[in-house]
Amino acid sequence: MGDKENETTLPGPFPPQGKKPLQKDNQHMSQPTSGNTPTNTPMIVCEGIYKWFDDFCALRNVHLTVARQEVIVILGPSGSGKSTLIRTMNRLEKHDKGRILIDGTELTDDIRKIQEVRREVGMVFQQFNLFPHLTVLDNITLAPRHVRRMPKKDAEAQAIELLTRVQIPQQAHKYPGQLSGGQQQRVAIARALAMEPKVMLFDEPTSALDPEMIKEVLDVITDLAESGMTMIVVSHEMGFARAAANRVVFMDAGEIVEVNTPDRFFSQPQEERAKTFLSQIL
Amino acid sequence: MAAIQPSPSSNDLQPPYTRTTPLSWVLQNLFNNWYNTVFTLFFGVILSYAAYRGLRFFFVTARWEIVETNLTNLMVGQFPRNELERVWAALFLLGGSGGFIAGQAKQLSTQDPTSPPPSPGREQILDFVRRAWPFTILVLFLLRLSRSTTIMLLILALVALTGAGRLIGARIPGASPKRITIFALATACATLLLLLFNGPPSQEWGGLLLTVFLSTVSILASFPLGILLALGRRSSLPAIRFVCVGYIEVIRGVPLITLLLLSTILKLFLPPNSFDPNDITRAAVVLALFTAAYVAEIMRGGFQAIPQGQIEAAQALGLVPIQTIRLIGLPQAIRKVVPALVGQFISLLKDTSLVSIIGLSDILKVSRSFTSQDDFVGKGLTAETLAAACLVYWALCFTMSKESKRLEERLGVGER
Ligand SMILES: Nc1ncnc2c1ncn2[C@@H]1O[C@H](COP(=O)(O)OP(=O)(O)OP(=O)(O)O)[C@@H](O)[C@H]1O
Ligand SMILES: [Mg+2]
Repeated sequence: MGDKENETTLPGPFPPQGKKPLQKDNQHMSQPTSGNTPTNTPMIVCEGIYKWFDDFCALRNVHLTVARQEVIVILGPSGSGKSTLIRTMNRLEKHDKGRILIDGTELTDDIRKIQEVRREVGMVFQQFNLFPHLTVLDNITLAPRHVRRMPKKDAEAQAIELLTRVQIPQQAHKYPGQLSGGQQQRVAIARALAMEPKVMLFDEPTSALDPEMIKEVLDVITDLAESGMTMIVVSHEMGFARAAANRVVFMDAGEIVEVNTPDRFFSQPQEERAKTFLSQIL
Repeated sequence: MAAIQPSPSSNDLQPPYTRTTPLSWVLQNLFNNWYNTVFTLFFGVILSYAAYRGLRFFFVTARWEIVETNLTNLMVGQFPRNELERVWAALFLLGGSGGFIAGQAKQLSTQDPTSPPPSPGREQILDFVRRAWPFTILVLFLLRLSRSTTIMLLILALVALTGAGRLIGARIPGASPKRITIFALATACATLLLLLFNGPPSQEWGGLLLTVFLSTVSILASFPLGILLALGRRSSLPAIRFVCVGYIEVIRGVPLITLLLLSTILKLFLPPNSFDPNDITRAAVVLALFTAAYVAEIMRGGFQAIPQGQIEAAQALGLVPIQTIRLIGLPQAIRKVVPALVGQFISLLKDTSLVSIIGLSDILKVSRSFTSQDDFVGKGLTAETLAAACLVYWALCFTMSKESKRLEERLGVGER
């Protein structure tokens, strides 16, 4: 049950023609770096990341540098470590070897550093993970109020603004259980954006959705990409990757096998494993 | 192409709805086939006979004078008769501010845009009757026995005060959870002061007063304690985990009676004159400590039922562990275990009858003592005294269970 009245009012064409021009009207949705940080340093640096689950090696020697405002799409077969990789970036998983720097802050065992990074990194999950006991509005205002100590009024005003951004302002007082999957995922995006993150991580944001709801969520993510947000998106949506990604990262068996532009990756992949993978999903 | 179908009239869009009359319900559910008919008749006969005997006892054969003479004993035990104002004052205080809190809570829930629109007045009255009838039966029964106009007037005044508090609470603007909490705490403190400050010694407390006091105090104390134990059992620090698991398993492995008996000789192990709590305090502490172990296990079940994704979402948003527990874990866990929790508290209320083992006179103990009074000894009126105690327990427990159902429904708003 996609809400038709919303889809017709969606701004911008899909897929967007130009890739990531900074659109003026979208500016306040992104916070392209707070003024004093140098804009030429990378936003995310992963150097030689290893991760083991018991003696199973889920990530091996992963190197990845993500520039500010860059959009990365991660592809790869099931179990290749895509989720594990982005979950190490906000310490939902602890990496066992290597260095991860988020906007210059290194992720170590230091709790304060972890909290600092989590405040700056928004995450959207495959299963939405909205808080079922809170209304949509409370879901969105929770972190700004309790982590950023924002006054309730301000947080609610901001939440309504974000809900308008993701095209569902009229759902503010419902509970997550009363929304469609697509609406829930858009609330989850608004909830992450409410913390004004510098980076957004998406773990298969449309995989749990019925086909007719995928577009409404991808539109929101594309819109966000165009506004200059640094993003890493695990997704198998080819159209989205072509339209929004600056680079595609292909993973297999815990390794990064190929990094390429979306056009080149989909038309002439370099690595054998990537070719096999693409032949299977196309 | 076939002719265009006429668009369905608005009537066709209604769900097919057949009115169930009581008679059609009975026919469809009780007499729909031969074996159901046999069952219905069989149990119908048994139940009717039981009801007949019960009602006949209650209204005809029972010699209620034994309860009548001892009504005050049943309510407050040996509480000094010249200090009964304390109890009445506490009741009025609880009624008035209970009403006020209910009114403010109502106001809060109507401010909440997610709440359903207010139901019409008739609905609300019906709703009140559905909630209060067990208690009303109890009060009417007691009033009928007391035959005292003063008490009747006092009860009427109490009801009126509660209603007034409710109305005022609904009208004074600016209700907030914080204000309600402060008000409730202040009321609790004032009530305790009224009853305890310079009051009668603990041995003189008894009857319903003691039962209600013990259950309330130990419910209120065991709940937070149980939550802490449940969290401790899930802690990542082994020392805390061992202590909590050890506590829970030891307490659950010992009968309540044993713990109560142990509490009386506890002072043998403490340094002399260090501190010597009175019997009531001791009983309340034991009941609370006992129930806390069970609450902990119930809450643990609630915490375990929370999907890992909820915790991860909270962490990803930057909530620190204590906020994650307070804002995400606890509310969701409690919602999942309300029925089990209330069941435990009902069980606690009934278990307060065991405190007679350490010499306290709860309502059951008091009512059993009537038959050995000079006037009634050897007259075989045990049934009457037990029936009175039963009625009191039932009114309390049934109300708790109904309120738990209500709470469950209200907390479950919008959940799938
Ligand atoms: N908590 C865990 N304990 C043990 N093994 C795990 C755990 N989480 C992930 N793994 C293993 O690590 C590997 C990588 O998992 P991951 O979830 O990152 O894969 P993925 O690329 O996201 O796959 P999918 O496309 O199915 O989501 C898998 O083989 C998985 O079984
Ligand atoms: Mg995954």
